[in-house]
Amino acid sequence: MTGDSRTPGRETPFDLALGKRLTEAQWTRREFMARVAAFGLTAALTQLLVACGQAGASPSAAPATATPAPAGTIAAVATPTAAPTPIPDPEPELNVYNWLDYIGDGVIESFEEKYPVKVNYELFDDIYAAYEKLGDDGNGYDVSFPIGVDVPSFREAGTLLKLDQSLIPNLANLGPEWSNPGYDPGNQYSVPYVWWTTGIGYDTTRLEEVPTSSNVLWDPRYRNHISLMDDYQETMGLTLIQKGFSANTTDPAELDQAIARLTEGKPIVRTWTNDTISAMTGGDIWVGMIWGSDLYQISLENENIAYFIPQEGGVRGSDTMAIYSGAEHPIAAHLFINHMLDAQVSAANTNFIGYMGPNLAAQEFIDEAILNDPAVNPDKAILDKLEELLDLPNDVDKLYLDRWQAYRAG
Amino acid sequence: MTSTAIDSPGAAGLRERAGDRLRNALLVLPGIGWLLLFFVVPLAFIVVISLGRRDELHRIVLDPLTLENYAQVFNPIFLPTIVQSLYLATATTVVSLAIGFPIAYWISRYGGHRKTLLLVLVMLPFWTSWLIRTYSWMIVLRDNGVVNQALQAVGLTQEPLILLYTDFSVILGMVYGFLPFTILPLFVSIDRLDPNLIAAARDLYADGRQAFLHVTLPLVRPGLIAAALLTFIPAMGDFVTPDILGGGQVTTIAKVIQERFLDGRDWPYGSALGFVLTILTLLGTLVALRTLRREVVGE
Repeated sequence: MTGDSRTPGRETPFDLALGKRLTEAQWTRREFMARVAAFGLTAALTQLLVACGQAGASPSAAPATATPAPAGTIAAVATPTAAPTPIPDPEPELNVYNWLDYIGDGVIESFEEKYPVKVNYELFDDIYAAYEKLGDDGNGYDVSFPIGVDVPSFREAGTLLKLDQSLIPNLANLGPEWSNPGYDPGNQYSVPYVWWTTGIGYDTTRLEEVPTSSNVLWDPRYRNHISLMDDYQETMGLTLIQKGFSANTTDPAELDQAIARLTEGKPIVRTWTNDTISAMTGGDIWVGMIWGSDLYQISLENENIAYFIPQEGGVRGSDTMAIYSGAEHPIAAHLFINHMLDAQVSAANTNFIGYMGPNLAAQEFIDEAILNDPAVNPDKAILDKLEELLDLPNDVDKLYLDRWQAYRAG
Repeated sequence: MTSTAIDSPGAAGLRERAGDRLRNALLVLPGIGWLLLFFVVPLAFIVVISLGRRDELHRIVLDPLTLENYAQVFNPIFLPTIVQSLYLATATTVVSLAIGFPIAYWISRYGGHRKTLLLVLVMLPFWTSWLIRTYSWMIVLRDNGVVNQALQAVGLTQEPLILLYTDFSVILGMVYGFLPFTILPLFVSIDRLDPNLIAAARDLYADGRQAFLHVTLPLVRPGLIAAALLTFIPAMGDFVTPDILGGGQVTTIAKVIQERFLDGRDWPYGSALGFVLTILTLLGTLVALRTLRREVVGE
């Protein structure tokens, strides 16, 4: 819903390489681009930096560079979970449109070996530009990767094809918490791809004890060293969850309580920013809201930064796979999504991208480093308390933004 | 026009003058085209969009047109934000004038044959991206940044000073960014000032301070007003500096508009806010320019 709440998934290896190259102070590519564009700076500069970033986005810069499974292994091992249902013949071609560096090694190849389909795989590095290009019906692309929170509006607009779940038997591999996501109940129009969380990062050398609750962001001992997000849905969401409400509440009274709680802590907050990375590496912020996916980047600069998801619960976000309504190769598209849900393929994707997939069956093939990283793979107890931010209806959205702007200005 | 025609009668003369007028018209054409394309047309878009509303898919709906957004522009929740923006822009302007005036004065009076070089130096920061310069300030000001490390190294402070994400860092960043816009108009008006007038004042037993207050200052007033406008207006519309160097600690009206557009994806409401800000700025500018004209023409 909010522009910025989409950012977490965006720290692809591309971002990391670009971020590293720019300055010591890192910022996410999307924020950077938005600011460049907003301030009317030369397109040339942007392009130059993009070029630098691309040149640097070698596989070695990939996050959590757990060695991706070699191409051969996936192709060689038969998918144990795919139920043998009679499958119609797929079309000979498939057009896929995905993020740069956002798929496991050999995944496309193993699909092409399994089915007589030639995959035309194209890349984007800006989801909003990609949405424009995909238009109302995919504009020639069969499969793309919209953000979960955007699925409802695409569904309403008729942009996405209703999935024929009989062609995707591997849906059975999904963990229980992903079989009925709030943005798309029953996964009727989309299938989750990878996901991330919003939590709290802290400097272990500064905090006096290991925090477990989001109340640490109101702790007067850390006055002037606390940051919240400059994103009303994220920050109000954290506060709502702390108060025991839904992060997507539509009740004005609950929103008032959340804002009252935020106002209480306002004097000790140093900054509201989504660039928690540079705020924390700069030493200004000791404890702040951060996307779990940013943590790897921080760890490059400061190994004393740890991450936790508040015991009260937290916000999760996800990218999905969806078939567009204008797809000319719908059967191949379904088979592709089914392939992506294969346990080993999904694990290969996670191992390369560094985000967990929703795939329960994939766990045994995922690198230990990722499985043991609570920032990426939280405990079951916490998992159950995660909530996705929803695209709020206009009148509800206004309830949020009005209160938020009054809080920020007051 | 008619009187000049009488002075130099003849068809040839008239033709020449018509040719002049045509040439003049052609010369302003690019300027007018530029303004039309990059000011009038976008502003027209903003006005039209501001009369629409958004549907549940965040699309802009223009049918029927409505003034609903304008009814919500004068929302009391924006009052502190407006006060904050005015405060930051005013402080930036005052500090810029205080720093810019001596610099402009010095370049004009003592720059000698290096004047051009000095002016190029004033413009030099523009050769690097504004964003990169703003981020550089962040590195300078943060808790383990250059300033704090230096202060601690020489033992002046024990704990880092809170510099970043304060009003101070925002005003510093904006003064730094807009100073050239202050210096250049001041320089032009100081440079046009006839030094003989000051010499005459001194001859008439004015001391340096009196000569400055009663001769220099009134004469460079148009430059001061122009400089103040050229600093105040961008400072009022800047949301990048408050965002990066203010870290959201200060909220400006420009930031509120940006948030309605991007995070809230409410273009019609954002447009209404933006249009009202444009009109208010324009009115303020017109008042200032009228004062300026009275100064120049009236004296």
